[in-house]
Amino acid sequence: MRLVIAECTVDYEGRLTARLERAVRLIMVKADGCVAIHADGGAYKPLNWMNAPNTLAIEDGQWRVSNPKGEQLTITLHEVLEDTSRDFGQDPGLVKDGVEAHLQELLAEQVTRLGEGYKLVRREFPTDIGPVDLLCRDGDGATVAVEIKRRGEIDGVEQLTRYLDFLNRDPNLAPVRGVFAAQEIKPQAKTLAADRSIEWIELDYDELRGVERPQQKLF
Amino acid sequence: MKFRCERDVLVDALATAGRAVGGRGTQPGLSGVRAALTGDRLELTGSDIDLTISVGITVSGETDGVVVIPARLAADIVKALEPGAVSFAAVEDELKISAGRSEFAIRLIAGDDFPRLAELDVEAVTIGADDLAGSLGQVIPAASTDDSRPILTGVLVAAEDGGLRLVATDSYRLAVRDLDNAFVLSDGQSVLIPRKALQELNRILSGGADVMVRLGEREASFEVGDIRVVTRLIEGDFPNYRGLIPASHPNTLTLNREELLDALRRVKLLAREATPVRLDMSADGLELVAVTQDVGTAREQVEATYEGNDLTVAFNPQYLLEGLEVAPGDLVTLSTIDELKPALVRAVGVDDFLYLLMPVRFS
Repeated sequence: MRLVIAECTVDYEGRLTARLERAVRLIMVKADGCVAIHADGGAYKPLNWMNAPNTLAIEDGQWRVSNPKGEQLTITLHEVLEDTSRDFGQDPGLVKDGVEAHLQELLAEQVTRLGEGYKLVRREFPTDIGPVDLLCRDGDGATVAVEIKRRGEIDGVEQLTRYLDFLNRDPNLAPVRGVFAAQEIKPQAKTLAADRSIEWIELDYDELRGVERPQQKLF
Repeated sequence: MKFRCERDVLVDALATAGRAVGGRGTQPGLSGVRAALTGDRLELTGSDIDLTISVGITVSGETDGVVVIPARLAADIVKALEPGAVSFAAVEDELKISAGRSEFAIRLIAGDDFPRLAELDVEAVTIGADDLAGSLGQVIPAASTDDSRPILTGVLVAAEDGGLRLVATDSYRLAVRDLDNAFVLSDGQSVLIPRKALQELNRILSGGADVMVRLGEREASFEVGDIRVVTRLIEGDFPNYRGLIPASHPNTLTLNREELLDALRRVKLLAREATPVRLDMSADGLELVAVTQDVGTAREQVEATYEGNDLTVAFNPQYLLEGLEVAPGDLVTLSTIDELKPALVRAVGVDDFLYLLMPVRFS
């Protein structure tokens, strides 16, 4: 993310022609190429913007942003007041509701969905770096740490790996296996989990809630 | 890079390669088509990383070169030009497209992140395009479009009894098609090919030419004439579909496929808001019924032969339609056990295709 506060003029050519006269504005350039020009007002809507994919050419105090649709945004910087960049890393995404917490609650109640003979030790089992969602014992009495997400991505596997590292330092618990559970797990997360000997399971939220769908399934 | 080519040839090639272009925002190169000119041979390639389509055409080449051009814009421009010869000339980061009195100059896309097409180091096997096209069309509709279960978005291609078996399921229905004398895989081998790749392959299979198939461990490629489709394979275990097919069905309805399709399309008009279509089956034949509350009711009698106990079973009409549409032959059978167990659609006298679908509970 690059944030530039500058006194600038902006010309847009595309579906129509528009001009923003010289004034101080915030210019945002996001990692995916989106460019947005904000005034010091309004909640979220920029004065002008260009969605990715874009080509940004910077030359002599002038930014030319063009996209494959043939639109062009020309930002002329008269005076740059602030210019800062930061790598945000991967965004965890918007959690729209309490599904994740509910999944944890439901799986804690139906822990045998993870395997025959599974028993719940505790929800939100504390570790030095934060609580792991579920701590269980499998049918053979071995310890299993379960991390639950709505969308299973690489970040979740990394998080569980860190918990396992700490849990395995406790001689009363070790060896501790990991299970990564989510409604939907991205292929990369599955690959990473498998590489780290972490099992993964995709959870059917409706099934856990006991919601009976009229359309039956073959499996 | 500089060449001339007939507009219509270029329109088709750009459209075919462009179908693999996904426009992933984080990789600008993937919103373009890579154009590589060597002599009079122009190769256009589109890719979204998982799927790559490459088309080779003959042009009047002047200067060799490789550029990445904005896929949609270039296709739209060429399509809009007057019929006749079109000239492409790339100079630095700009592409000039001209024909007659029209001239366009468009910005090229940086091609550094455009994926390289790996050559599959496996022996190619040739299959008749018509055989493959028909078979793919019969199973693709049953493959899932839900990316949350990636395994079900693929079509299982497995060696079976000296031939090839294609299987697809979205967990609500299952389609199985056997292809004789197609020795693409060795005994016991199977691969899972993404539905999207097979849809694109099916689209280009209509010419009747042969298809050269290469199935690797991670990728598959299909060559039809000058077009090559390369796709990543889906990793994972396909559900054990064999166990889903009931050994026997006590009730069998036999009827004309087209008559049932026509009646179903009419009755479906009143099956709104996920309402199923009911099939009332008895010795008198078949009655289709759809009732949508606050909208209305549709009923239609269909001539049929029925053997078994009187039974009412309900289906998602779209799933039933899609199975009947791809079933071969004039006469079909609908075999049922009861109103909750999977029903089987087959064509009379044809053993190489089956379509299994789950009923919908109704009150």
